[in-house]
Amino acid sequence: MRVRFWGVRGSLPSPGVHTNRYGGNTSCVEVRIGDQGPRIIIDAGTGIRKLGKDMANAEFGQGQGAAHLLISHTHWDHIQGLPFFSPLYHKGNRIFVYARQRDDTHLRAVFQSQTEDPYFPVPFDSVQADVALRELIEGARFEIGPVKVSCTRLNHPWIAMAYRLDYEGHSLAYVTDTAPFRDILFEHEFIQSPPEPGAPMRPDDARKLKVMRDGVVRLCEGADLVIYDTHFTPAEYRQFPHWGHSTPVDAMEIAEEAGARMLALFHHAPSRTDDELDQILLESRRSTRKLDVIAAKESMEVDLATPAAAAAGEH
Amino acid sequence: MEITFWGVRGSIPAPGPETNRFGGNTSCVGVRSARGELVILDAGTGIVNLGKKMMTQEFGQGRGEATILLSHAHWDHIQGFPFFVPVLIPGNRFTVYGPSRSSGMLEGILEGQMNPHFSPLYTLKNMGAALEIHAVGEGQTFEAGGLKVTGRLNPHGTTKALAYRLEEKGRRSLVYASDCGYTQNGPTTEVLELYRGADVLVHDCTYTPEDRAERLGRGFSSILEAAQAAARAEVKHLVMFHYDQDYSDEQVDALMTRCRQMLDEAGGKHIKLTAAAEGLTIRL
Repeated sequence: MRVRFWGVRGSLPSPGVHTNRYGGNTSCVEVRIGDQGPRIIIDAGTGIRKLGKDMANAEFGQGQGAAHLLISHTHWDHIQGLPFFSPLYHKGNRIFVYARQRDDTHLRAVFQSQTEDPYFPVPFDSVQADVALRELIEGARFEIGPVKVSCTRLNHPWIAMAYRLDYEGHSLAYVTDTAPFRDILFEHEFIQSPPEPGAPMRPDDARKLKVMRDGVVRLCEGADLVIYDTHFTPAEYRQFPHWGHSTPVDAMEIAEEAGARMLALFHHAPSRTDDELDQILLESRRSTRKLDVIAAKESMEVDLATPAAAAAGEH
Repeated sequence: MEITFWGVRGSIPAPGPETNRFGGNTSCVGVRSARGELVILDAGTGIVNLGKKMMTQEFGQGRGEATILLSHAHWDHIQGFPFFVPVLIPGNRFTVYGPSRSSGMLEGILEGQMNPHFSPLYTLKNMGAALEIHAVGEGQTFEAGGLKVTGRLNPHGTTKALAYRLEEKGRRSLVYASDCGYTQNGPTTEVLELYRGADVLVHDCTYTPEDRAERLGRGFSSILEAAQAAARAEVKHLVMFHYDQDYSDEQVDALMTRCRQMLDEAGGKHIKLTAAAEGLTIRL
């Protein structure tokens, strides 16, 4: 199983000289299973545009491809590249899209409204590829060819899903977007302003967060690679705990507890410069002996079957 | 009038070293009138950096007022709006104009972007600043930031986009014409009149003529339509804008060289030509 990063940014694409090394595209990760295995993609931020062009050079350009797209949640930065994913525009391709089942509407309606008039010229239902939607409930387990997939919910406004992929003894966990499992329970209500620091939580909320956290630790258990939302520095988190993102400290805590091997810092804030990310990576590495920490960057490829030190290459 | 480019790209932001010089943010142009008031043309991702600059001024204290003119509501012209920090600050006031059948419908279009399935802000009402939203009809004229503004619709694929003319009283004029999918006859007489004699015409230059020919249905101009429109309307300065997301800096350089030749051939030898780039400021 090989993982390649096409978009590593959160919230908003961030072009400019200060993001040239880590990349300015929003979230998109490609997973390759051997040479013949299924094509799996996680999230469809702007990074998926270049992945799509790459795929169109092979069978997807002839309308003979099949791909499986796992969506963590439908906030803009995780779906805004989808209308620019060229395999959608070749008849014969089959694209399976997996996302959390809604409480208020069906998934097709959500994707339809992304590209309806007047926002985009090509409606969702007019793309040439065969697009099949798969609505997931929390805790669902399913298979994509030889790959076992499981999911659990995260602590994020309107709820996001984390995914785990298992194949031939190797495993990947994708955990974004999420706030830490303390301070605030995110569900469907808008949280206007942050709670008082240290204010006691409602016991019901605290219980729900404990269950959610246990689910995430279980999902990451023994994973070769955990990709985790590290949007914030600890100081930023204290200022914006109601935005639904974590810090490298939170990510390391979960990944260590789960006995994971590698941790990829991911969903970098749009304003984070390359030099700041270098520094955050350095500090994170200093504060753990148990994990091999990397900072996700565009074009970086990680082979889960190789020892940690050699796993992360750039192409 | 002072014109600053904050986003010059079309369709989708295009980060990466290959777009460092012209920039990868989607459409946004800031105009400071002689009276010192701010009029913003389109709210692509470029508006985010403009917003950061505004936060160092009165908008940081919730005492700012500005106008936003939207050409149309395709994502690349509104996607920066939820990340435009001045709009989150209570006390700031924005008047938003755009093409729609009614002001309520335009508000609904902007509201659709904030839907909680897509945005953690849930609704425009959580944005803090006061928003006043007005639909603009074909040929309508109104006042904004001390400028006389006129809007005219151009065809744009399956929809239409407003071109705006901004005039300082008795003085300089700017025309912003992004996403122009003219018929083979070029701009209509009314649109040519809107462009007529402008000191600056910012015009859709998404494609080379060859790429446009392959993607006619998308409703964009190539450098050829831009050069011909500029020459026919006898503008003084043509500014290329809204480059395709796949064009590298070198390709935009090449677009400019060819556009110069096309301007000359169209009878516009005296027309100044500039390729818009993030951070570029033009003072009139």
